Amino acid sequence: MGRLFIEDAKGEKVLMCKGCRVDSASYDDIESKEFQGRYGRAYLFRKVVNIVIGSSEPRFLSSGFHVVNDIYCSSCMQLVGWRYEIAKEESQKYKEGMFILEKERMEKKGG
Amino acid sequence: MGGVEDDEPASKRMKLACRELKGNPNDSLLSEPSFGSSRDLMARLLQSEEDEVIGSKGVIKKVEFVQIIAKALYSLGYKKSGAHLEEESGIPLHSSAVNMFMHQILDGNWGESVATLHSIGLKDESTVKSASFLILEQKFFELLDGGKVMDALKTLRTEIAHLCASSNQLRELSSNLVSFSHGASVGSSNQVNLRAKSRPKLLQELQELLPPTIMVPERRLEQLVEQALTLQRDACVFHNSLDREISLYTDHQCGRDQIPSRTLQILEAHSDEVWFLNFSHNGKYLASSSNDQSAIIWEVGTNGEVSLKHKLSGHHKPVSSVSWSSDDGKLLTCGVEESVRCWDVSSGECLHVYEKSGPGLVSCGWSPDGKSIFSGVNDRSICMWDLDGKEVENWKGQRTLRISDLEITRDGKQIMSIFKETAILLFDREAKSERVIEEDQTITSFSLSRDNRYLLVNLVGPEIHLWNIDGDINLVAKYKGHKRTRFVIKSCFGGSEQAFVASGSEDSQVYIWHRGSEELIGKLSGHSGSVNCVSWNPVNPHMLASASDDGTIRIWGLNSHLQQHKKLQQVHSNGGSMAAAYNGRT
Repeated sequence: MGRLFIEDAKGEKVLMCKGCRVDSASYDDIESKEFQGRYGRAYLFRKVVNIVIGSSEPRFLSSGFHVVNDIYCSSCMQLVGWRYEIAKEESQKYKEGMFILEKERMEKKGG
Repeated sequence: MGGVEDDEPASKRMKLACRELKGNPNDSLLSEPSFGSSRDLMARLLQSEEDEVIGSKGVIKKVEFVQIIAKALYSLGYKKSGAHLEEESGIPLHSSAVNMFMHQILDGNWGESVATLHSIGLKDESTVKSASFLILEQKFFELLDGGKVMDALKTLRTEIAHLCASSNQLRELSSNLVSFSHGASVGSSNQVNLRAKSRPKLLQELQELLPPTIMVPERRLEQLVEQALTLQRDACVFHNSLDREISLYTDHQCGRDQIPSRTLQILEAHSDEVWFLNFSHNGKYLASSSNDQSAIIWEVGTNGEVSLKHKLSGHHKPVSSVSWSSDDGKLLTCGVEESVRCWDVSSGECLHVYEKSGPGLVSCGWSPDGKSIFSGVNDRSICMWDLDGKEVENWKGQRTLRISDLEITRDGKQIMSIFKETAILLFDREAKSERVIEEDQTITSFSLSRDNRYLLVNLVGPEIHLWNIDGDINLVAKYKGHKRTRFVIKSCFGGSEQAFVASGSEDSQVYIWHRGSEELIGKLSGHSGSVNCVSWNPVNPHMLASASDDGTIRIWGLNSHLQQHKKLQQVHSNGGSMAAAYNGRT
């Protein structure tokens, strides 16, 4: 693969990809800690770094019908969560454009 | 002379005259010279098509069109044709008053010419004044040249004085009288230089002073044609030639055939992904660097064929970039967060290894005088070394990120690097001042134009932004269409007058845009892996090189070159005694 472009996540406390230890997101950008992913607890983030966004897929989640993209660590291409593209329910629309990172795939750094 | 003193309005007078002429379209007027019969011509003009327009858009006035053609004929020296055109069309180039005026100037009838000036139809009083001044000034100088000092003085006092724009002007003219009489009294053997210009020259100056509605400006037709050609050339998005002739027969539109679009060569000497490449300033060499921890210097032959010159081994990390010295005699290579090595281009020898104990180096660049090298460090500082390896300067603080390009302007003053995720720092090391380019998304790489006035910035988008950095910093253009999700992908300027922008892309293609119009004009396929970097030969606008994850470098050229290359291969395989006959182009 080419010369990977890797950014550093800002802030004191950061989440890194467990597989390759490249920054994925900053704790400063956490929107909510109360989410459930495929593998357990997950966090909702406003912003992520070093992430590749997959193609759009329709999916029924516990919170209703959504169009989501699976997201991968750009460094090791491990599946790390998903991104909300469209939420059908009005009450869920606030998540559009935000990212879910699975705690099971992440490692804490700093703080 | 003419009927300019009539009381009746001219149009009425003319219309009466034309009723008489109506029955004789092909009469003997045809053989008369234009000046004398212009009044009759005016008659025919007013009768027929004064307001007529021609052309598909109906914006060209026929009278004006014919007049500028007549003017062009005269200036080309075709006096007979010009006169004939005026006759046949019934459209005189100049009104009778103007014709008379021109005659009077050329004949030196100064007083009469000034009088005619007042009846030519000039609305602006100051123009009348300036023109009168020019005429009388000519009279003054001609009198002086003729030795008629007293007459000259009289003219100055009675006729010119009140027309002078300032007392300085008057004084200057007066001084001519003094120096003339001095010259005369000393009885010098020197030739007294004629002060008066030639009358045709005076006429030319008057023409420039008078509004175009009174006298058609010189070379107006040529001017209009040149305007059209310039517009065509600027609109031609494929224009990429050094010396292409523009014809008047058809609108100028280079076909796509002027843009490199065909693979001429595949260079396979790297054993891993090729991350970077750059042509030398003189276009004779190409340097590439790879994940295989080496760099290669290639030579561009006179027939455009690229061959391996030196393989540069020594780094223990992938080589992320190279930098050519101004004279192309030396090359710098940078190992990722490791060291910078300096190589001699002709021998391939490693001249020096620059490193710091502790932090690794992340970028490299030459000072224009070739006496120092610059390098970004992964502790965010930038340092400068002399050729012996002594660290001469160190700019601390946040000056660069770990992944950043380094550019130095030709005057050696400004150093540029990515110093924040979304910003580029341009700092003047002499003036110790700093400027910043702020972007709205993360920057991955950038490059400086050859004239140092523009910066091409690659963003994560992916998107490429063109910034003007000469004077005020401002965003000029945006280029989109290529693909990027994970890697550093580089773009560059190129082509004739750097009229194009080219970029690599993760979809394995080379993208080319027309710089001015932002239009995507080419997508070159061939590579089987992400294209990480492109470089356009600065001396040959038809040669482009690309570096790819497939481990190869492709040299791209024009479709027509491909046909020539194929012929060359055929000749060689025939046991070519004719090989020398092919004298290709660079």
